[in-house]
Amino acid sequence: MLTVSVKWQKKVFEGIEIDVSLPPYVFKAQLYDLTGVPPERQKIMVKGGLLKDDADWSSIGVKDGQKLMMMGTADEIVKAPEKAIVFAEDLPEEEQATNLGYSAGLVNLGNTCYMNSTVQCLKSVPELKSALSNYSLAGRSNDVDQTSHMLTVATRELFGDLDRSVNAVSPTQFWMVLRKKFPQFSQLQNGMHMQQDAEECWTQLLYTLSQSLKAPTSSEDSDAVKALFGVNLRSRVHCQESGEESSETESVYSLKCHISHEVNHLHEGLKHGLKGELEKTSPALGRTAVYLKESLIDSLPRYLTVQFVRFFWKRETNQKAKILRKVDYPLELDIYDLCSEELRKKLEAPRQKLRDEEGKKLGLQTKSSSKDGDVKMTDAEAPSNESGESSTAAQQEGASSSEKGTHMTGIYDLVSVLTHKGRSADSGHYVAWVKQESGKWIQYDDSYPSVQREEDITKLSGGGDWHMAYIIMYKARFVSM
Amino acid sequence: MEILIEGRRKASFLLSSEHSPELGFLLDRFRFFILIGCLVRFEMAPVPDPNNVGGGAKRDEATTKVPSKDPKKKDDKKEDDLSEEDLELKQNLELYVERVQDPNPELQKAALESMSSFSRLMMILVLLLSHNAETEAVDLLMDVEDLDLLLAHVDRTNFRRTCNYLTSSAKFLPGPDDMLVLDIAYMIYMKFEEYPNALQVALFLDNMQYVKQVFTSCTDLLRKKQFCYMISRHGITVELDSEMVADKDDRDMLQDIVNNTKLSEGYLTLARDIEVMEAKTPEDIYKAHLLDGRASSGPSVDSARQNLAATFVNAFVNAGFGQDKLMTVPSDAASGTAGNWLFKNKEHGKTSAAASLGMILLWDVDAGLTQLDKYFHSTDNPVLAGALLGVGINNCGIKSDCDPALALLGEYIDNEDSSVRIGAIMGLGIAYAGSQNDQLRSSLSPILNDAKAPLDVIAFAALSLGMIYVGSCNEEVAQSIIFALMDRSEAQLGDALTRFLPLGLGLLYLGKQESVEATAEVSKTFNEKIRKYCDMTLLSCAYAGTGNVLKVQDLLAQCGEHLEKGDIHQGPAVLGIAMVAMSEELGLDMAIRSLERVLQYGEQNIRRAVPLALGLLCISNPKVNVMDTLSRLSHDTDSEVAMAAIISLGLIGAGTNNARIAGMLRNLSSYYYKDASLLFCVRIAQGFVHMGKGLLTLSPFHSERLLLSPTALAGIVTLLHACLDMKSIILGKYHYVLYFIVLAMQPRMMLTVDENLKPISVPVRVGQAVDVVGQAGRPKTITGFQTHSTPVLLAAGERAELATDKYIPLSPILEGFIILKENPDYREE
Repeated sequence: MLTVSVKWQKKVFEGIEIDVSLPPYVFKAQLYDLTGVPPERQKIMVKGGLLKDDADWSSIGVKDGQKLMMMGTADEIVKAPEKAIVFAEDLPEEEQATNLGYSAGLVNLGNTCYMNSTVQCLKSVPELKSALSNYSLAGRSNDVDQTSHMLTVATRELFGDLDRSVNAVSPTQFWMVLRKKFPQFSQLQNGMHMQQDAEECWTQLLYTLSQSLKAPTSSEDSDAVKALFGVNLRSRVHCQESGEESSETESVYSLKCHISHEVNHLHEGLKHGLKGELEKTSPALGRTAVYLKESLIDSLPRYLTVQFVRFFWKRETNQKAKILRKVDYPLELDIYDLCSEELRKKLEAPRQKLRDEEGKKLGLQTKSSSKDGDVKMTDAEAPSNESGESSTAAQQEGASSSEKGTHMTGIYDLVSVLTHKGRSADSGHYVAWVKQESGKWIQYDDSYPSVQREEDITKLSGGGDWHMAYIIMYKARFVSM
Repeated sequence: MEILIEGRRKASFLLSSEHSPELGFLLDRFRFFILIGCLVRFEMAPVPDPNNVGGGAKRDEATTKVPSKDPKKKDDKKEDDLSEEDLELKQNLELYVERVQDPNPELQKAALESMSSFSRLMMILVLLLSHNAETEAVDLLMDVEDLDLLLAHVDRTNFRRTCNYLTSSAKFLPGPDDMLVLDIAYMIYMKFEEYPNALQVALFLDNMQYVKQVFTSCTDLLRKKQFCYMISRHGITVELDSEMVADKDDRDMLQDIVNNTKLSEGYLTLARDIEVMEAKTPEDIYKAHLLDGRASSGPSVDSARQNLAATFVNAFVNAGFGQDKLMTVPSDAASGTAGNWLFKNKEHGKTSAAASLGMILLWDVDAGLTQLDKYFHSTDNPVLAGALLGVGINNCGIKSDCDPALALLGEYIDNEDSSVRIGAIMGLGIAYAGSQNDQLRSSLSPILNDAKAPLDVIAFAALSLGMIYVGSCNEEVAQSIIFALMDRSEAQLGDALTRFLPLGLGLLYLGKQESVEATAEVSKTFNEKIRKYCDMTLLSCAYAGTGNVLKVQDLLAQCGEHLEKGDIHQGPAVLGIAMVAMSEELGLDMAIRSLERVLQYGEQNIRRAVPLALGLLCISNPKVNVMDTLSRLSHDTDSEVAMAAIISLGLIGAGTNNARIAGMLRNLSSYYYKDASLLFCVRIAQGFVHMGKGLLTLSPFHSERLLLSPTALAGIVTLLHACLDMKSIILGKYHYVLYFIVLAMQPRMMLTVDENLKPISVPVRVGQAVDVVGQAGRPKTITGFQTHSTPVLLAAGERAELATDKYIPLSPILEGFIILKENPDYREE
């Protein structure tokens, strides 16, 4: 008979007797009573090894009064979770891309940053993407020529590749087709493709897409691109000498922001751009006369594109020179006062609604932070209030609103900026800055996307040698009614 | 040549140890000493010296060349406080000095002959010792190679300064002089019953006989307890016997201290006092909210790589605290994500995850084994391997009679699954580092020469044996590893893991200098693929921590060569520079500057090792200049250089919570956002910086930078060698080698305990340590101090002193556990 002490966890059990004639399993059973650890889970450490169930006490050499150590718990044994965990590393490439929160960059194929940044900006328009995906491969309508069709398909493929890939995509195919369609882009200089004007690329690409995405029915409304980007302008052309006046309408894909000495802000530039002088033959005077042209916006697009007219042809140096003037632009643009009378009327009700909603949000926020008791009250009131207002608004609008549900407000949010850095249009570097659905801004510098802060986006307004906005795109804000 | 170097080093040493404005005055004193030295040696030269036959003449030639412009311009100040008798003595001496320099050889001869050499030597010695010129006395005796005289002539007033100078000059002396000097220091300390210092020197000499002698000479049990604390910090295994401590109960209690069983308790006392017990999550360390734009972008899907990084960060940050928010949360809360953290790691990642539990419960063996038990019953091999490794980590530095690690891991050494085998082998290596356990040798050695064993198992077995027998020069282990190296096929020699075989061999000779030579000779017969690597590793390990300038030069010469592609031996050579030079400040700064050059002119494989070498030189000591260099390299175009620099940033800031490094790493985490490998390194480095929430250090040096813990150094060096091929080891499936760092983890605390070993709080002053070697009077030992109450943290280069007279510390070196005795003379004011 031996007496030992056993240490288990932080406890020490003194004076446990071992009957040397019985196998160690009996000893373990003794410990089971003390600790509640089943014998098969017990690990008893004697000098230099573990105590085996069937070992012989005499050969182990346990001495009287020796301290033994026991390890073991009655806890449950860990089991792997039934549903295996999926790791990002195991996912196919395309799913990894969605996890990233933004799509891949585009490889620069040699002075193709103008094209890359254009593609990245246009890609940020989900409606354009869906319109492209509806475009059938084979069913080319007759009025679209072969190269336009190819360019459309290439655009679609490129957008798809960008969404699927994690690493930078090489837009080789797209570039080839683009050059085929618009040979001016394959100008060479010293054996290299020249830098081009991104605005030209933007306009041409949009024009091509608008042609090919026109539904076969070829009715005006079904022109997807026009519906997205087209701005209808109604202009009043007025000759001061003769007093003649005529009005005309036109549809453009972008507004121009002219930069002169007095323009400091986008709004001023836009106003400036909508006023113009032109010389034409006056039927009344029988000679050419100066006409004043004043345009107002007649219909609003979902995406408003504004081009800063930063480049002009400098005759002395024979190149496109750049205006470096700083022109600020807001993250939120209100173009109400650029609209025509009729449009303003239409906009009033939705704008009121938007203001109310915002006011309510602010009011709610202040209240919820002050007292939690009050919140319930306002919460209860809020829905009734809202429904009441919307019903009156609906009555006012009546049948005039063609599509129920969402309405334009004339307020636009900045979604993408295409910037240029450098001193002339045919040199320097183009970069796209695109706002993601998550609200993050991503800078696409060819193959390197990087996250940017929102306040840095407004710093791209020029006035130095930093990147400055060249084409910016706003997205319309809607209210539901 | 050698003498010139030696002379220059001595000069620079003297200069460095004196920061007073009277530098010029000291220079004169130094010159004075040289003159005396040459005088004495000159006359002794004709006497045939059995130790140094040919060398004597050469020496004289070299030293007499030292220009001696004006011996008269000596310290006039000193003359004032000399007694008349001494003045005469001194004037005589000066006369001799002048005469000896006299160009007229006859006059010179006459001067020399007028005194008998020995009596003159004694005269000078007594003069120097009695006038606060102990340093000169020591230098003089060193030059005449008669240090034994010191023992008889030092007294209670000057032995401390003498020994201080002896121990600190040891680092600048070539062998075997350095050992001799320390021997004398030990004897002087013993003579004056300064046992803690004597023990320190004994540990430095790695002389167990001396250690035992300290114990047998001292009769006070309380002081013996303090000795045990000192031994336990050094991390060596000492079995106390009845000669050292007679009473069995006392012996058991002391052995407990040596076995570090109370380390966890003390560490937790510190943590509670500083109020850092609250567990931290990896997110608390990453502080992503401080970065622009990224905060919201938490990926929705778990990334195995990032989870693995989080596992390590969690383990390092919560090391030793016994609680965290990933691994130790109760499993019934498994409904959330937390309980299943283990399974958020993929395959071999689970090994590291399970092992991290051992790290979290570091030093607390009872709790550790209880928590790890559940993984022992897992059918998943990586989990089991992790549990085994975890036991090893948990037991790191802790010894117990029951040998739980050996009992538990022993039976898995020959498991059929190689990952389980590696887990057990590595666990044993960590748990028994430095123990020289024979039982382990007999079970691990056969693996090395087992033809069927996979290469990784062999590599880890060699490494573990190297750790267990670190610095032992054990022949049999060396033989086994050598045979294993010879048996490798050409293809296997190219494998990244093969580097652990030479490293294991090198660890056997860690700091043992010449003892390596026989093995180094054998290594010349190896396959050329590994020969040079082995050569460099052996050289650097054998001279690690010696500060041997000649070896640094050898290693630098290796780095100067421009090689064909594929040769990898320059990596260990660069690390070797750091290993050899890290022991003292001057050599360290010199090495940092040399490494800058190497960085500029070296090949790519050298550049990759430089950041690691810098990391080793400044481990847990974030010097600003090194930080800047590493920060620059962390953006290097070569990703391996960048990775090494990032890991090193973590190493130099390890356990400091250094805000600047933390900021750098945070920016790097955003910079390398898309590169999973680099991001992983950044995360690991972040874990290092916040290691133990800032309570730990990785520095292998302790006791005022005098002693070098061999096991700690072995752990760091192993990690660095693994980092030489980051891609295939740490970024591959052997990431758990990161846990080798546990060997170097020690609380950077000073904890005062009373006579019953219960913590007590006393006021202490903590400030920057001042080098007082060779300074006159009673200089302040710390500067810019603040007063705290214990327990306190000590940063690199800091020193503490008691701010109260109520207690007397039992050790002059206030680090780690300090036993305080009440001062009988203390009176309350």
